[in-house]
Amino acid sequence: MSVIEVKNLVKQYRGAKSPSVDNISFSVEQGEFFAFLGPNGAGKTTTISILTTTLSKTSGAAKIAGLDTNKDARKVREHIGIISQNPSLDVNLTAEENIRFHAALYGLYGYRPSFKLMPKAYKKQVGELAEIVGVGDALFKPVKKLSGGMQRKFEIIRSLVHTPEVLFLDEPTQGLDTVSRRELWEYINSVREQFGTTVFLTTHYIDEAEHATNVCLINNGKIAFCGSPDEMKRTIAYDPTPKVCLPTLEDAYIEFLSKTKEAV
Amino acid sequence: METVIKQHKPATLWRELSVIWALIMRDIMHTIKSPGTIIFSLVMPIVMMGMIGGNLTQNMAGGLGFDFGKFMLIGMMVNMLFMTTGNGVAELVDDHESNFCEEMLVAPCSRYALVIGKILGSWLPALVSMLGAVVVGAIMGISLSISQFLIIIALSPLICLVAGAMAVVPIGLIKNRRAANMVTMLLVTPQMFLCGAIIPIGNSSGILWLISRILPMTYSLDLTRAAVFAGTPEFDSVVLFNPAISLAATVAIAIVCLVVGTFFYARSEKNR
Repeated sequence: MSVIEVKNLVKQYRGAKSPSVDNISFSVEQGEFFAFLGPNGAGKTTTISILTTTLSKTSGAAKIAGLDTNKDARKVREHIGIISQNPSLDVNLTAEENIRFHAALYGLYGYRPSFKLMPKAYKKQVGELAEIVGVGDALFKPVKKLSGGMQRKFEIIRSLVHTPEVLFLDEPTQGLDTVSRRELWEYINSVREQFGTTVFLTTHYIDEAEHATNVCLINNGKIAFCGSPDEMKRTIAYDPTPKVCLPTLEDAYIEFLSKTKEAV
Repeated sequence: METVIKQHKPATLWRELSVIWALIMRDIMHTIKSPGTIIFSLVMPIVMMGMIGGNLTQNMAGGLGFDFGKFMLIGMMVNMLFMTTGNGVAELVDDHESNFCEEMLVAPCSRYALVIGKILGSWLPALVSMLGAVVVGAIMGISLSISQFLIIIALSPLICLVAGAMAVVPIGLIKNRRAANMVTMLLVTPQMFLCGAIIPIGNSSGILWLISRILPMTYSLDLTRAAVFAGTPEFDSVVLFNPAISLAATVAIAIVCLVVGTFFYARSEKNR
């Protein structure tokens, strides 16, 4: 069953001469790890913004769990979580206050003035998530005093508190060190296994998409390729003889970009 | 790994109220953690009340037939509520610039809850400003009884709501903090003079009369003065309208501005 369906989606920003997303179509199955790759300005974040209901589309269809992202925006929001490209924590609050605020916005727990007054289930959940991502000690520190990587980890905790069915990760590991990146992926994979969460990833670290179920390449607003990582390695590398394939997805991606430049 | 799965509660009014409460608490946290905000909230009344009000009290008090000091103090208190709430609502632009608005806009809650929460979240700093006006008034020898003070406190959430809703209309369309500050100032400062915050407008005519009847602060001021001066011989000299009219106008303006402002806010984020 497709949990994300995009059909002939077009987005042209006001005043722009050409569309940022130009008639793209793809679908993502439930529980899938879907990587949406492309160079800067290709249309990845625009697509994610439409799917997460924060941006209107110009035409076409975008559905999450069968719900239209425009007409049923509020219901769509019940199903999704997002870690956005840019940091979005309130730097004037502590990390835990940010998570508490998020839990209240999602109707999980009523907001209480201090952590101590929150229900046991909340304390347990936040404590566990913080330990897993390795930020337990920093839970009550002001966000403005945390490093960029640490802030990213708290954004991850925040996005998972309401256990979304579809998790949008827009360059989630930007600014994280190698160890933190590995820990984060271990955790995201365990969440996928445990809850069947669908993961929609955009990243510039192509190795992170190596184990994706499917990969979509977008360039200049158009879909250039959709298929499994192995298919991509074969198709892009030595087209039109698909029997040989490049060793890594990153090689295939670089090959794709160089071919695109040549074509231009 | 034993992560607790917490299911969403059904979308109910209670849930929206919980969102509003969370937003109010967020702004209270901001205020408590920012001594600068509190100091600014206290300094503003000194400038507004102490300088402008003091001058007017000395030069206008005679021959009006009512206690001008008290008239002006109430006007300044309402003006402070308007000004501080307007500034608070302008923080929506900060949230946009810091990407925090994305966290709010992706949440499965009503956009009205987000805007109302933001407006009422400005209530605490607005109260601090209002208290500043009371302190400056006391230094100037102008005082209110405890019951009069409590009446104004009771009305303050409604006044903040109308002030904030009015501010959301233009601020919902603005994505720049400097522009938002200017718009807030332009919205509130003329009202201070045109709506009778410090200068009586009982004898206004022509265009000034018309403007005073259109602007929201007129009704908030009149409602507050009606509540404070109720049962006193000065009531007829100070109060312009039947309090029921002022209350109805205040509520109506708040609702209209809230609907329009929330529409602009949600639309400007989404339709780019």
